[in-house]
Amino acid sequence: MLNGLKAVLYREYTVFRKRAVKQIISSSVPPLLFLIAFGWGLGRQVNVGDLPYISFLVPGLIAMNSLNQCFAISAEINIARFYFHTFDEYLIAPVSEYEVVLGLTIFGMFRGFLSTLIIFIYTLLFGVQLILNPVFFIALAMHAFIFSALAVTTSMLVQDHSGQNLVTSFVITPMIFLCGTFFPVDKLPTAFKYLVLALPLTYSTKVIRATLTGGAVQYGYIYVLLIYCIIFFITAIWTLKRVEA
Amino acid sequence: MVKDIVLKTTNLRKSYGKTTAVDGIDLSFHTGEFVGLLGPNGAGKTTTIKMLSGLTKPTDGSITYFGLDFHSNQRFAKGVIGCVPQINNLDRDLTAYENMYHHALLYNVKDDSTNEKIMIALEFADLINYTHRQVKTFSGGTMRRLVIARALLHEPKLLFLDEPTVGLDPQIRRDIWDYILKVNQVKNTTILLTTHYIEEAERLCKRVLIINKGRIIAEGVPDTLKKDMGRYVLEVFKQEGIEERFFETRNEALASLKECQETCKIREVTLEDVFLKLTGRRIDA
Ligand SMILES: Nc1ncnc2c1ncn2[C@@H]1O[C@H](COP(=O)(O)OP(=O)(O)OP(=O)(O)O)[C@@H](O)[C@H]1O
Ligand SMILES: [Mg+2]
Repeated sequence: MLNGLKAVLYREYTVFRKRAVKQIISSSVPPLLFLIAFGWGLGRQVNVGDLPYISFLVPGLIAMNSLNQCFAISAEINIARFYFHTFDEYLIAPVSEYEVVLGLTIFGMFRGFLSTLIIFIYTLLFGVQLILNPVFFIALAMHAFIFSALAVTTSMLVQDHSGQNLVTSFVITPMIFLCGTFFPVDKLPTAFKYLVLALPLTYSTKVIRATLTGGAVQYGYIYVLLIYCIIFFITAIWTLKRVEA
Repeated sequence: MVKDIVLKTTNLRKSYGKTTAVDGIDLSFHTGEFVGLLGPNGAGKTTTIKMLSGLTKPTDGSITYFGLDFHSNQRFAKGVIGCVPQINNLDRDLTAYENMYHHALLYNVKDDSTNEKIMIALEFADLINYTHRQVKTFSGGTMRRLVIARALLHEPKLLFLDEPTVGLDPQIRRDIWDYILKVNQVKNTTILLTTHYIEEAERLCKRVLIINKGRIIAEGVPDTLKKDMGRYVLEVFKQEGIEERFFETRNEALASLKECQETCKIREVTLEDVFLKLTGRRIDA
């Protein structure tokens, strides 16, 4: 039972163990730069509502950075598909598609959590006060699940590496900048606001921010995220079933 | 007996847009058979293997393993197949052992004996000294061996070898031939090997299917296929090219050689001659 899941996790874990140091170092640089530039540099003069900007920024940064880390698995799956053909092993093995998707998604989530841990360490250094509430971890897990599953879907749909880059430039990056990570969504023009309300990042960022800064959590958003989790997971399985080598 | 038929395909077909890569192939393999699929570049060998292993879906036709439809019995069928793809697809960041272990998990090779099975398989493939080395440090021949060893770890009933020795030097190629023959003989594994090397097909395969432009154009025991052509060829080197004359016996060929004005050479008939006669071009161009 679940031998396919075990196989995927074994592979990812074994590779990660060998690359851990490089990976952790490279994923700790961007959030530090954001904190310095926007938290310290710009943020001292700015407040969002009652919050100092840096307290507003850190939850957004956690959402952004974990999203980036989760989504980064799609580039790796891509390389496994098109360059090393190692992904073909999953397609010919007697395992269910959901096991492969789940394994890859769990690994993506792991990377997302790791990057969050790094930001937590920074907040201690910068003296940013955060509240750790169990709902935060639930929201972060769902957030990481959604974008890891999206990463799997993307890597199944694209036909090469440049297609992958296209998705990053036209979907991931705009989403990161618009969905309330760096400034509140209600500052957006109306047309954008509706677009943004259709994107899961808007909801995960809201819950993540509310929990970390002690604001009021809209529990309805948790259900919204749950629905996204289910849709994105099923989509990933569906695309894997159709993929050919 | 139907049970004895490991694999059967009917009218197997694959099109990519307007190109038809495989154009209606009927295959039927018995337990323990060693079959060759011989054809030039682009004949449709890899596409055939991809359909048989589940990497790509046929446009048309059916595939059954042990009488069971592939599509509706994927878990069973995939478990009885081992596949050595044309391009090595080992995980280069892992060691030989880790690659094997990954495969053992995927194919649910039982836990308590996994380690032992891996070591036996590496031993059988003569790879014990490479057990804990990273694959990216291996030579082409060593990688090939490991891909084959990995494909055999779950003891498949049927092994697909897609051009197993392409790009390897003659000595390594012979080593791999020995290894493959050992697998077929010791384990009675049914083997389907694709190649565009005439010698490889003649040396290894009990039965050869000649494929060209997606169709099987001839099929049989190598010797029988060749017999229809004669046994010996006299090659006459003329200005406009080489002319080939076929003879039943060496003496007839020799007699003809004596009358020859141009440079001449006698050799045995190969499957290349069969292919040339059927298609008007060479396999190993
Ligand atoms: N993914 C694909 N998309 C479009 N055409 C393809 C694809 N794969 C194969 N083909 C075409 O199908 C035909 C058969 O290719 P295939 O790879 O099966 O040949 P092959 O016999 O394995 O050749 P080789 O000896 O070079 O490996 C070729 O004309 C090839 O261009
Ligand atoms: Mg090929």
